[in-house]
Amino acid sequence: MTTLTTEALAKTDPALPQDKPAVKSKGHGKCLMNRRQFLLTSSAATATATVMVMINPGTPHAQQVPAVVASYPRKFIANLSELKQDEPVDFTYPDDGAYSESMIVKMGEAAGGGIGPNRDVVAFNYACTHQGGDLSGSYKADTKSLGACPLHLSTYDLTRHGILISGQAYQSLPQVLLELEGDKIYAVGVFGLIFGRADNLQG
Amino acid sequence: MATPYYIPESNVPLPPKDADVITTACDYCIVACGYKVYRWPVAGNKNGGASADTNAFGEDFPVAPLGPWVAPNQHNVVLHKGEPHHVVIIPDKDTKYVNTDGDSSLRGGCIAQKCYNPQTPTRDRLKTPMMRIYGILQPVPWEFALDVAAEVGKHVIKKHGDNAYGVKTFSYQYIENTYAISKYALRHINTANFTFHDTPSDVSSTPGFRDAGFDNFGPSYEDWMNAETLFICGTDPYETKTILWTQWIMKGIQNGQKAILMVPRRTAGVAYAEENGGLWLDVTPGTDLLVVNAIARTIVENGWEDSEWIKKWVNDKWGSSSGFGQGTRNTPWQWRTTWGKFQTKGFKDWKKWLLAQDEFKVENAAKVAGVDAKKIRTAAEWLAKPQGGKRPKTSIMIEKGFYWSNNTGNTQAISALGIICGAGGRPGQVIGRAGGHQRGGQRGGKYPRNKSPMKLPGRRRRALDTDTWTMSGHTRLAHVIGTTWIQSMCGSQVLAQRFEELTVANPHQVRSYDKQDIIDTLKARADSGGMVVVNQDIYLVDPIGNRYADIIFPAATWGEETFMRANGERRLRLYNKFYDAPGDAKPDWWIIAQLAKRMGFDGFDWKNSNDVAEEASRFSRGSRKDFHMIKVAAHREGKTLHQKLGEFGTNGIQGPVFMKDDGSLMGTKRLHDTQRKLDPNGPQGANMYNKKLTHFNSQTGRCNIQKSPWSLFSDYWEWLNPKGDELWATSGRTNERWQSGFDDRRRPYVVQRWPENYVEIHPDDAKSRGIESGDMVMVYSDRVPSLKETIVGVEGADYSFSGQMKNGNVELTRAAVTGVAHVTRHIKKGVIYMDFLHPEQPANAIEGRIVDWISGNYNYKMGVAKVKKIGESAYKRTFRSMSWAPRDII
Repeated sequence: MTTLTTEALAKTDPALPQDKPAVKSKGHGKCLMNRRQFLLTSSAATATATVMVMINPGTPHAQQVPAVVASYPRKFIANLSELKQDEPVDFTYPDDGAYSESMIVKMGEAAGGGIGPNRDVVAFNYACTHQGGDLSGSYKADTKSLGACPLHLSTYDLTRHGILISGQAYQSLPQVLLELEGDKIYAVGVFGLIFGRADNLQG
Repeated sequence: MATPYYIPESNVPLPPKDADVITTACDYCIVACGYKVYRWPVAGNKNGGASADTNAFGEDFPVAPLGPWVAPNQHNVVLHKGEPHHVVIIPDKDTKYVNTDGDSSLRGGCIAQKCYNPQTPTRDRLKTPMMRIYGILQPVPWEFALDVAAEVGKHVIKKHGDNAYGVKTFSYQYIENTYAISKYALRHINTANFTFHDTPSDVSSTPGFRDAGFDNFGPSYEDWMNAETLFICGTDPYETKTILWTQWIMKGIQNGQKAILMVPRRTAGVAYAEENGGLWLDVTPGTDLLVVNAIARTIVENGWEDSEWIKKWVNDKWGSSSGFGQGTRNTPWQWRTTWGKFQTKGFKDWKKWLLAQDEFKVENAAKVAGVDAKKIRTAAEWLAKPQGGKRPKTSIMIEKGFYWSNNTGNTQAISALGIICGAGGRPGQVIGRAGGHQRGGQRGGKYPRNKSPMKLPGRRRRALDTDTWTMSGHTRLAHVIGTTWIQSMCGSQVLAQRFEELTVANPHQVRSYDKQDIIDTLKARADSGGMVVVNQDIYLVDPIGNRYADIIFPAATWGEETFMRANGERRLRLYNKFYDAPGDAKPDWWIIAQLAKRMGFDGFDWKNSNDVAEEASRFSRGSRKDFHMIKVAAHREGKTLHQKLGEFGTNGIQGPVFMKDDGSLMGTKRLHDTQRKLDPNGPQGANMYNKKLTHFNSQTGRCNIQKSPWSLFSDYWEWLNPKGDELWATSGRTNERWQSGFDDRRRPYVVQRWPENYVEIHPDDAKSRGIESGDMVMVYSDRVPSLKETIVGVEGADYSFSGQMKNGNVELTRAAVTGVAHVTRHIKKGVIYMDFLHPEQPANAIEGRIVDWISGNYNYKMGVAKVKKIGESAYKRTFRSMSWAPRDII
């Protein structure tokens, strides 16, 4: 089946509205047209819906094509008050499938995408974005980093959205987007494609 | 995370089962990993699926570690035969050589981002020829641009001589192009004003290797893995030759190899080696020779040298002198080997000299080099001390940090050390360069050294120094092909100033619509003492193209034409065309051919790149990448050379290539292979045996063991040695942008990681200057030495830094470059390190524009500078870009 995500369409087709839902999906009562909305929406489990969207609207090539719309689950990860500095806590996200292993850590240092009063709590996927090496257990408190990957030694800076410090990876380490509600921390999305997958939500 | 530069995707299209699969190799570093391009039309939306039976990999997604995962940076959309196509470009998971686990670096891994796609930052690829008219580069047709360039070229040659036509070109960007360019410049124009992208004059990069008899690229990648002790000088192969490290050296270390790395930075490869029992020699810039000779001295003092090897493979008194009795001795290696400064009467004579030099005593060398004496002794033991009656298998690898610090001295010293350790000529016991760019050079003409006006004492003509020649106003037409020229040379801000004076500041500027008028104006510029610049490249390069060029020719490159090239183990591969070049861009061989025909030269009637390769093949005979027999085999089988090489896919074949009796082809694992048995009846058919297959590249086939006097360099080093609050200022490139600089500003993830140049500085040096990571700093110097004329002198003593100083030929110039401070533990105290070729902040401006007296190369890694904070960069308080973490985390 031919599939296009509405997200991809929104990015490549400037004719599509960026902030307003274009069509309605069954899952949420609205179709999510950009990543911000994508990630701000909450649901208990991954919801996938196929909807028809218009590509090339207003041109002779206009056609209806099916699009897969999926959203990330909102998953409880930890209580902020229970996180100890520089002691990572592992969890799985966005599902329990391959390469869902992730970690959350309070680093004691403000970080990009960090939550909490000191913006120092961040979460990342554990699969090296080079060749899929397992980064679990490689957190370094002194450099606030993950790695070196046991396969080819890539290292990632957790204060800077998982950017590659040194090594071979093809992109930053996927960062798990967090939300804080009272003391409760929820995972609500992932920035960057998780190793091994063709789509984050089809693990 | 989203940034102004790079927005990560959360999905990627997979190639469908029926996608076209095209083999190629990476465009960037020397290792040249094998790649597969998966291509399928955008029309029809026939993407592959996540299940094995619906995608071209035949794999279920998610894939296993090391599997054919597609990162979003590995996908692009290109035009193929005018129609939009998806391409997914990933390392070949099935290749048997080089990147054996289907591994790749970040650079090659994201090579799909290189492809021209107007929706990406590649949109500014040059698409049409341009000419500067009324001060603005304006698109013009090919005919128009070529006619003007040829007319001005002919005039310059006729009126001002062959050497007024300067050609500064890449040496590596495919065999077909380098052949065409050098045929044009050397065989037809026959100019001595010719050199490659990385040197001011056309000379050997490693004079010591040349003299000893070592080919730069003799070893095979498996040799680096199989060495028991590996001494790596002037590079961290993890940061540079990445896959040579991860697939070969790292496996060697895991197998017990002792790795010794001599560099001033403790980057990840150094840290990994140390973690696994290796050694870091944290050398002060320019003092490598002292450490190498202290190691050699320790070895001979203890009698650990490989005596049997030396007896059989090292020239004695008679061997050293043989073949030198007659003729002009007018080649650089003959001067060096017969000069008296370097030549020895064999091992004993060399040993006597070595032991007589106090500066090579371990304690003395350790003090100047800033390396712990204990480490020097340990290195000597690992390299040569027999254990249980058995010698260690020792190999030696060198690269730019080493041979561009004291070019002649360092390469002479390391050759002698290699010889006494028995390195060179046996499996796991090799000596060579690690390499930089790939090996795509094929000469189509001989460099006319006798036309160079530059002389050393006696009748020694040195290849023309194109920088000094141009500074002096002798270059009237500069034809610049695929290099920045200015930023990549030393003391480059002074060079830029001169370019400005000679081009845009000259009164003869094109202000006309008429072709003849334009030609006459540019001729008048040349005649007035100015310079016309013709620039061939894939992007408009600043400043050579953007500010100074009169004519721009747009070049087609990797993936846009079918080409051949070899890697660092001489492995030849076909780089297939898989998409349309942007606009009207043409391959360099085509551009040269059109120009050559207009200049009245014959032999440029090629129809396609295979025609060029087939003509070039016979000139490769006897060379390290001799591919002539591939053509012979191809023609026997009714194929073209390109077709035949293409059959070898990503595995390729190692040069020199031979044909066996049954007509099949056979490669060459290593050069100087003393254990290789060649056909006792000699080469059959069109095969050709060169001495270096089984012997060394010297007059006798045995190695010359040579002296490496510190005194030829020490005056410069001592003068340079930081004064007051100066620091050593050295440079290089990080892994993320090594050998890919010509594309990096268009690769969003690399721009996010390294948006600006950086200045690595040790915490102690930073503290005393009030500098923190993220501060914007000014790196500046009032002591950038520069030669006014090539060399002013008569006597031998004039040919030294102090001699030139005394003769008033050294001018002190100034330079200033900004950068973002990175305070880090991984750099040696007293040393700063920058990216040498960041286009906006060119750190080479700081490095001394003084060539090595003997070889004519720059010592690019040698400079001093002061560093001061001038404010805070945007990166200090934000989290999108850069990283202040050290590069030694293991």
